[in-house]
Amino acid sequence: MFAKFDLDRPKRLDEAVALLANGNGAVILPLAGGTNLIVDIRAKRLAPARLVSLSRIGELRGISCSDGRIAIGGRTTVSDLLRSAEIARHGPSLVDSARVFGGQMVRNAATVAGNIACGSPAADLVPPLLSLDADVVLTGPSGSRTVPLAEYFTGYKTDVRRCDELITEISWAVPAAESANRFYKLARRKGDAITITGVAVGLTVASGVCTKARIALGAVSPIALRAPGAEALIEGQALTQALIDEAGRRAAEECHPIDDVRASADYRRHTVHMLTRRLLSEAWASLA
Amino acid sequence: MSREKTIVLVVNGRRHRKAFPTHRTLLEALRELGFFDVKCGCEKGDCGACAVLVDGEAIDSCLTLAWTVEGSAITTVAGLGTAENPHPLQDAFSKLGAVQCGYCTPGLIIASESLLRETSAPDDDDIRLALSGNLCRCTGYTKVFEAVKEVARASTIGGRK
Amino acid sequence: MTSTPELPAAKPNVAWRQIGRPLERTDARGKAVGTTRYAGDYTMPNMLHVKVLRSTMASATLRRLDVSKARALPGVACVLTAAELPDRLAPTDIPGQTGQQRQKTDQQILVRERVRYFGEPLALIAAETKDIAEQAMALIEAELEPLAGVFDPIEALKPGAPVVQGEDNVVAAQKVRKGDIAKGFAEADLVIENTFRTQFIEHAFLEPEVGLAWVDENGVVNIRVSTQVIEHFRYVADALGVPHNRVRIMGALVGGGFGGKEDVTVEIYLALLARATGRPVRLEYSREDSLVGHGKRHPFVMTYRTGVKKDGRITAIEAKFIADAGAYVFLSPYVLLYAVVAAPGPYRVDNLFVDAKAVATNNMYTSAFRGFGAAQACIAYEQQMDEAAKALGMDRLELRRRNYLRTGDKISTGVPIRSAVWTDRCSEQAWAALGEPTKVSGPVKIGRGLAAYQQSYGRITWLHDTSEGWVGVEVDGTVIVRSGVTDIGAGQASALAQIVAEVLGVTLEDIVVYNSDSATTPLAGTTTATRALYMTGNAIKLAAEAVRSRLVARAAKELDVEPAQVDMASSRVFIADHPEKSLSFAELVKLCAAEGIHRSELAMFKAPFTDKIDPETGQGQVHPDYAFGAHAIEVAVDTETGEITVLKSVGAHDVGQAINPAAVEGQIEGGAVQGQGYALSEEMIYREGRLMTPSFSEYLIPTAMDVPPVKCIILESRSGLGPFGAKGIGEPALTPVAPAIANAVADAIGVRIPDLPITPEKVVNALRQRSSQPQRSAGR
Repeated sequence: MFAKFDLDRPKRLDEAVALLANGNGAVILPLAGGTNLIVDIRAKRLAPARLVSLSRIGELRGISCSDGRIAIGGRTTVSDLLRSAEIARHGPSLVDSARVFGGQMVRNAATVAGNIACGSPAADLVPPLLSLDADVVLTGPSGSRTVPLAEYFTGYKTDVRRCDELITEISWAVPAAESANRFYKLARRKGDAITITGVAVGLTVASGVCTKARIALGAVSPIALRAPGAEALIEGQALTQALIDEAGRRAAEECHPIDDVRASADYRRHTVHMLTRRLLSEAWASLA
Repeated sequence: MSREKTIVLVVNGRRHRKAFPTHRTLLEALRELGFFDVKCGCEKGDCGACAVLVDGEAIDSCLTLAWTVEGSAITTVAGLGTAENPHPLQDAFSKLGAVQCGYCTPGLIIASESLLRETSAPDDDDIRLALSGNLCRCTGYTKVFEAVKEVARASTIGGRK
Repeated sequence: MTSTPELPAAKPNVAWRQIGRPLERTDARGKAVGTTRYAGDYTMPNMLHVKVLRSTMASATLRRLDVSKARALPGVACVLTAAELPDRLAPTDIPGQTGQQRQKTDQQILVRERVRYFGEPLALIAAETKDIAEQAMALIEAELEPLAGVFDPIEALKPGAPVVQGEDNVVAAQKVRKGDIAKGFAEADLVIENTFRTQFIEHAFLEPEVGLAWVDENGVVNIRVSTQVIEHFRYVADALGVPHNRVRIMGALVGGGFGGKEDVTVEIYLALLARATGRPVRLEYSREDSLVGHGKRHPFVMTYRTGVKKDGRITAIEAKFIADAGAYVFLSPYVLLYAVVAAPGPYRVDNLFVDAKAVATNNMYTSAFRGFGAAQACIAYEQQMDEAAKALGMDRLELRRRNYLRTGDKISTGVPIRSAVWTDRCSEQAWAALGEPTKVSGPVKIGRGLAAYQQSYGRITWLHDTSEGWVGVEVDGTVIVRSGVTDIGAGQASALAQIVAEVLGVTLEDIVVYNSDSATTPLAGTTTATRALYMTGNAIKLAAEAVRSRLVARAAKELDVEPAQVDMASSRVFIADHPEKSLSFAELVKLCAAEGIHRSELAMFKAPFTDKIDPETGQGQVHPDYAFGAHAIEVAVDTETGEITVLKSVGAHDVGQAINPAAVEGQIEGGAVQGQGYALSEEMIYREGRLMTPSFSEYLIPTAMDVPPVKCIILESRSGLGPFGAKGIGEPALTPVAPAIANAVADAIGVRIPDLPITPEKVVNALRQRSSQPQRSAGR
């Protein structure tokens, strides 16, 4: 690979943020796992003047559970998610997603923050995190702010993160006891493939009624997004097969897929319908 | 700041000092240092031929900048064993016919070792999952699975872990 | 030097001592511990690094190519464009050993004026470092003016279509006329007609093309390269305009080939730059270079009409093939020929009519790939058999059984099969091995499919294929084998060691094989066409047997018996009936050495030599012999999403004689997975000639998560033309897999998807449009 850039390896978060803020108009990018960034630099899609490697900042890696919230450090790797009992208990859709995320070597390097920050609509951790109502903590030179993940993306590969901010934490409230949460990735190949359609659902049930529904869709719109119309259809209802099918249909209407080498927009819509229906059925059945 | 500096890479237990530019990947750096057992197959993390252990975990060396692993313990397949004193995975791959053209073999063995360090008794799904980032075009993976299972079985019985 | 004797009949049920055993291959350990050097692992002092600049358009005129800025960049040693090259071409035909005249199919080395495919090389850069070469590439200004191109072979056949090269776009045509096709259809109770399409396929060997070249003290250009064919030294010399003995090609253990390293790859670029700079030069393709830069498997459009009687007997087949040859001819005429020969499959078809054309387009050129046209034909004829069975209401295996060729029956080209034909046994055993169907529920449906095949082994008989090999015994009793054969990962060299160990009664540890050096190892021909074991194995066996006979003669004297009573095993020489009366192999060799008994032999094996077939009828001998077998598949199809999971995969093949059963299994398992990719996930997509799948994240070969454990059933008829009655397994392992999967999917969902790859989307669409099936079964 050939490219011209400076490379820093700060040991503290404040140093990293200060370096990012010091660009004077030049493109300075944070480097975490590198599994997207290095590929983009090699392909000359990105030409940063400086990279700020986060590999020495230990404080950004880890999973904790306190005060009823799960918090993941931004530099936590996808493999870390698979090793965590807390994630298995309180974010099962993330486990579904992490298992089919790249290959082992990519999972060992790729980070949760990096997957969000790359901005790809096919980023596989995003629909599960949307289904969990995750928040994102952005830390910049003047401190931290919290943004709901559902409001993080503003368009295709654009987001609310300023170039001097890092995603330092992702967190969500521990789901209610009577809840189910799952994710399915549809791709042209089972191992290590780019997603055609990704669907995550979260259901909470009380007294035989769905009290909360989350349906999040990946790779079928310019950004990963929720399907609020479909969610509204089932919230407050006892789910029936007809209602579930209707919600799947509505979710398919709420996405904006494109044709590409992997699949057509039409097929993506069809599979949003099918997968949403299937995941809702399974989630509902698991709570019955 | 300089875009080239001398760094120390600790590979297979030995320290190697060499000047590298910022953009030099670990794959390129290792091959420049003579570790030609690390193979280049795609340079974008799709094939796993360049996998090495960094502090015990398998990563794609093509996606890693050499500067960022300064000070880490790097292990290539040649660091696991030798022809006379092979690592059990190297022995099993050879004996069970899991090696054909062999170009993907170093990466497959590294990925398998990374799995076995974490899971001493992996099931079939664990093995498939652990090897899904290593493309092989010759073997069809069947004998690779057998070799990994054989080593896992032997180490569980023999208490290697 | 010995010449080829009549092949002795293989002795059945002989207890072999070394062959037939799953020994650890001689090349395995070095690869597993990382000490094996591949071609890309060699460097030299003062070496330059090379990059190739490629066209960004598929059909264009090169108006201007300004390399001045690149040449001026410090560290750039040399930039070559067509302007610096003499007006010579790069030969692209099949390499032959005996001076056959080439077809007029050569390719420009660098674009002079006309760009015919996306990625066609424009310039070569040699620089002190890879970084500098990469920077220099960005400094070259290439002005390309788009020209109307043609990107579909059927469009390319129409009047007025842009012509890619020469007078028209038909680059090859092949015919078969056997029996009376009209009579055959008149006798049929049913005629089944279908059209099947296959896609561009990439070899996806894990080691991209790579080589290192230098000019030595004799003025010889030496090239260390990853190749299936070291005998390309002749073509490189022709391209340079130097005598053939001034180019030497050395191979190395190859990181996969599958036909993709059968044509010249980087050799000519390296040779030109080594001569231009006087320095060693190294060129390693990136994966994108590799995907863009070598020929692909031909897409075929195959229309079949099959006439059958109610009892299932095939009365006639009419097949029409159109193959996309891409922008240059390369091996298209031969690929087409193999397809035509295989057109009826492993079935007796007395009335056969085949018309096939290979058509030029501005897509990537297409050339050799494991299965070589016969694999494409199998995809059509085996789906057609299932459709015929469905139309007849007959069991699919039963229909096949009633039509399988048997020994003595005439194949498509009118020549009888002489070896064993165990297609029936292979089919039965593969099918039985599927066991009980997997239980599923809901939207998931289970389906099963089988495909049988006929696949040649050995090259076209009028190419007059030969192989030479040398075996020698050192004074200490160790053995040296020299063979030009390239080892592309299937254990070609190890198999030679195993054969020599069998003949000389020693073990693999006693043997070293030197291979793939065009200057110092006897030329053994190509590692292609499922011929390496057949040809090279026979040559080495002849050489070893000659050495053995001289050693045995001396041992007989020593043991005071007739030579026929002497046997050799476990590194000892003994009286067969009195094994205690013996001497060690090393002692015997010492005796021979002291007495000047010749302890080495250079042998040549010759394949059958024939004249060309009649071009109007396609009748005559094309190949030495054929292999037969079958593959069976069980799939699960999710009818809601269209996802297909291969649950069971069983290959059953008559390999004649397995030299190393573990290596044979490796071929079957690898072929099964490559065939699965062909059927389901792999496709090189070109839009207006431009490659849309330039990496392994778009071109999807199966991963460990996509495949079931493959079951192998090895049958041994010991009837082949190879050593000990071997046939071959390299190509056969792949050929039946994709159609078996296609048949399984059709069985699962009740609809046939006639175009590969069978993607989830095609499954969903097919289920939605059940009414518009492609099949038109006309009852009569």
